[in-house]
Amino acid sequence: MSTHALGIVASMRKRKYTIPTYFAFAWLGLAVFLAIFGSFLPVDGYQVIHGDFIDSPPLTPGHWFGVDSNGYDIFSGIINGARLSVFIAIVSVGLGGAIGALLGITAAYYRGRYDSFINSTFNVVLSVPNLVLALALVAVLATNVDINEAVPTWRRLVTLIISLTVVIIPILGRIARAATLAWSGREFVVAARSMGMRDRDIIKRHIVPNVLPALIAVGFLAVGVVIIAEASLSLLGVGIPDGASWGGMLARGRNDLEYNPHALYIPIIALAFTVISTNHVGDVLRGGLDRREGRL
Amino acid sequence: MAGSGTAHMRNNDEVVLEVRDLVVEFKVGGGRVVNAVSKISFDVCRGETLAVVGESGCGKTTLGKAVLQLPPPNSGDVVFEGTNLSKLPKELLRSARTAMQMVFQDPISSLDPRMTVRDLIEEPLWVWGRGDDDERAAKVRELLNNVGLDPELVLNRRSYEFSGGQCQRISIARSLALEPRMLICDEPVSALDVSIQAQILNLLQDMKDRYGLTMIFISHDLAVVKAVSNRIMVMYLGKICEVGDPEKIYATPAHHYTSALINSVPIPDPTRKRVTVPLQGEPPSPVAPPSGCRFRTRCPAASDKCAAEEPQLREVSPGQFVACHHPRV
Amino acid sequence: MMSISDMYVRFETPFGLLEAVRGVNLEIPAGASVGIVGESGSGKTVMSRAAMGLLSGSNVRREGKVVFNGRELTAMSKEEVRNQFGTGMAMIFQDPMTALNPVRRVGTQISESLRVRLGMDKKQAMQRSAELLSLVRIPDPEAMLRKFPYQLSGGMRQRVMIAIAISCNPELLFADEPTTALDVTVQAQILQLLSDLRRDLKMSMVLVTHDLGVVANHTDFVAVMYAGEIVEQASTTELFANMKMPYTRALLESIPNIEMKSGARLKVIEGRLPNPVDRPKGCGFVTRCTYAQQKCHDEHPPLVDAGNGHLYRCWYPLGHTIARKQ
Repeated sequence: MSTHALGIVASMRKRKYTIPTYFAFAWLGLAVFLAIFGSFLPVDGYQVIHGDFIDSPPLTPGHWFGVDSNGYDIFSGIINGARLSVFIAIVSVGLGGAIGALLGITAAYYRGRYDSFINSTFNVVLSVPNLVLALALVAVLATNVDINEAVPTWRRLVTLIISLTVVIIPILGRIARAATLAWSGREFVVAARSMGMRDRDIIKRHIVPNVLPALIAVGFLAVGVVIIAEASLSLLGVGIPDGASWGGMLARGRNDLEYNPHALYIPIIALAFTVISTNHVGDVLRGGLDRREGRL
Repeated sequence: MAGSGTAHMRNNDEVVLEVRDLVVEFKVGGGRVVNAVSKISFDVCRGETLAVVGESGCGKTTLGKAVLQLPPPNSGDVVFEGTNLSKLPKELLRSARTAMQMVFQDPISSLDPRMTVRDLIEEPLWVWGRGDDDERAAKVRELLNNVGLDPELVLNRRSYEFSGGQCQRISIARSLALEPRMLICDEPVSALDVSIQAQILNLLQDMKDRYGLTMIFISHDLAVVKAVSNRIMVMYLGKICEVGDPEKIYATPAHHYTSALINSVPIPDPTRKRVTVPLQGEPPSPVAPPSGCRFRTRCPAASDKCAAEEPQLREVSPGQFVACHHPRV
Repeated sequence: MMSISDMYVRFETPFGLLEAVRGVNLEIPAGASVGIVGESGSGKTVMSRAAMGLLSGSNVRREGKVVFNGRELTAMSKEEVRNQFGTGMAMIFQDPMTALNPVRRVGTQISESLRVRLGMDKKQAMQRSAELLSLVRIPDPEAMLRKFPYQLSGGMRQRVMIAIAISCNPELLFADEPTTALDVTVQAQILQLLSDLRRDLKMSMVLVTHDLGVVANHTDFVAVMYAGEIVEQASTTELFANMKMPYTRALLESIPNIEMKSGARLKVIEGRLPNPVDRPKGCGFVTRCTYAQQKCHDEHPPLVDAGNGHLYRCWYPLGHTIARKQ
């Protein structure tokens, strides 16, 4: 028993990071960089049509990723897609996580009928496949009564974010609830009550800091979920219009598979790398944060 | 259901805590109810250490928490220094709690692993707004020194960096921050190594002397309890079996269960081997306890009266009270 | 029955090589009950697991020889060692809650051993299981066969674990803190049961515990371990009558004794166990011993025989002039 005091923190510092981990962090860093500074890069917008370069393969001077059959430069498409994906992911997961955590933590701390209600709600929403749920929400929120009138882009964006947020709420909410159940049973919560702390202070000071690591770790996984969901929706045509996102690029390049496959492969690779990276980073974070509390 | 009696209550000016007819029950699925504490009464005098002894399932831990109203008992009165805690509204109860603090069994899980030792011990002071930053820091240092930890080495570290014994010291320091008048210790040394137990027990004794505390000491370990207590209460399945002076009870236990408990403790002396096992069988389920005296199913002296009528506590020798129809004394 | 020679067990950890057991020599005579006493961190559990060959993991380094019934366990393959389990040696563990499989019935778990080791068929095995349950004094064995572990109390689970362990009539039983997690009245029952079984089935037993009281009443020989080594070893009566190692004496005095006066102050062993990764040069107990001298800091004391098989590891044992002076 005394050996466990030999220093869990020391083990964290000595942890070896593998090459995939470095790559994952680097890729995500790049995506965020592009999201912030992308519009300042010296490339044309993704909407610009380069008529002379249609179907150019990658490594053409000036169009390093090539041009698709419509004339859109793929490189600028990737950059813009990065901006959009990061934005949507951060907002949906952030908002969904915050709401889900609020519901989950309070449900697990106070228990009773409130908890049963929240838990059942979570389970019901979770039983609907992510994509179907998002699709349904978009269909309801992003259509006009008058089918001839087009829906403005901002409204579609907002709708998209709302539906993705709703998907994320029960995912992170359940994590928060489970973690809170585990931590509320620990004696330091009883100790806090016995020294006269108010419940809301106990939640703020004791429960939330201990639940946060699990939420952050799963949050990264949720980012992967959101990116794929958004790409799928765009591919189906109900996400961001006009090929603004990577999924949109896939939608635009649907016909290119035979003659111009790089128009599809490149966005696919971008999507794959991003999701793999977020999953990996989430895993690493979970492992590192778990160890802080563990025993030898 | 008759209570276990109140003959052992002292009803004088020295009584600091008086508990009457305490009942704590838990629901466990299927409409069944666990009778954890079944209408017992007891009191604690100023400066006393009352030891509550019993095996698992006897209700002693539940009792300790019920005194602090964590959670509040199903019925019964807990009167501390004249104030009936059971009848206090939530806000007043919160502030009343500062006079009674608890030390828990598992030293590691009773400390928030994300907080530094400084924050942990300072927290009670922060909750009640006692003193400014400097005064609080000084108090934290003083408390750490009192429990035998060097503040410099300890303040900025977190609980998982310490051994069980050290964590328990931190826990004790924290419970003393608000200068309570009563300390309830729930198996404070059971999770610790044998050679560390002595250190912590001595520490508790020192703190009691220094702060003039009244203590309730809950334990299953009879030997530990003897070392620290001046009054002992033996519980079985939610009821009190015997109460009184430890020297007397250990020397001549009146209740058959007490006697079995004492004789079950192995003595580290090979020349005094025990031949027979003091107590056979298992305790019955707390969901459906036996009628009358709850110990009668395992008692060598059980009679029909024991099944029909629940024994009340009565004095069988000066300072020794037992709830038994056929006591050994 | 079993002899352990020169056992070292080391773990490779991120902090360095952790020496859990160093240079342990122990003989377990046939039909005897040997107690191994120590606090947590003394190495007693690691040693008993290593002796049975139960330590696994890529970071474990075990050295030394273990001979069981004339056969060298340490030289055998894992397969061959495993064949010794059940019929040769068996172990019961401290926490009955985690040692039993929660999703299988009691009867299945007991008969598994019988079917694999003794080749019984299902019906025979169940019958024998019921017999074993009554041997460990469980009331209504037939009903118990169909129960799941979560339906049983701690004492019951421990009895089931004992039934599994003795099912194939082992010659040597390791009991690793078998009663630490149990109430004191149940502890008395279980220990008595073990003693009776040992006598009836003619087994040897190794009882690993931290409780000197348990050892005093239920063992023939005792070995006291501290910081990975045996620091005192003798027959039980001899050890308690003539303690030599200050640690043993300090351990005895620091444990609350039911015969003490109430309200008495306990004698404390100051300090903590030495760091198992970076062991000090001299005696492991030196920072906590009231009789420590310079020699104790500098030189590691060897195991010395006081005659009549009483071994101790101390430069200035109790009864020595220096100890008497203080």
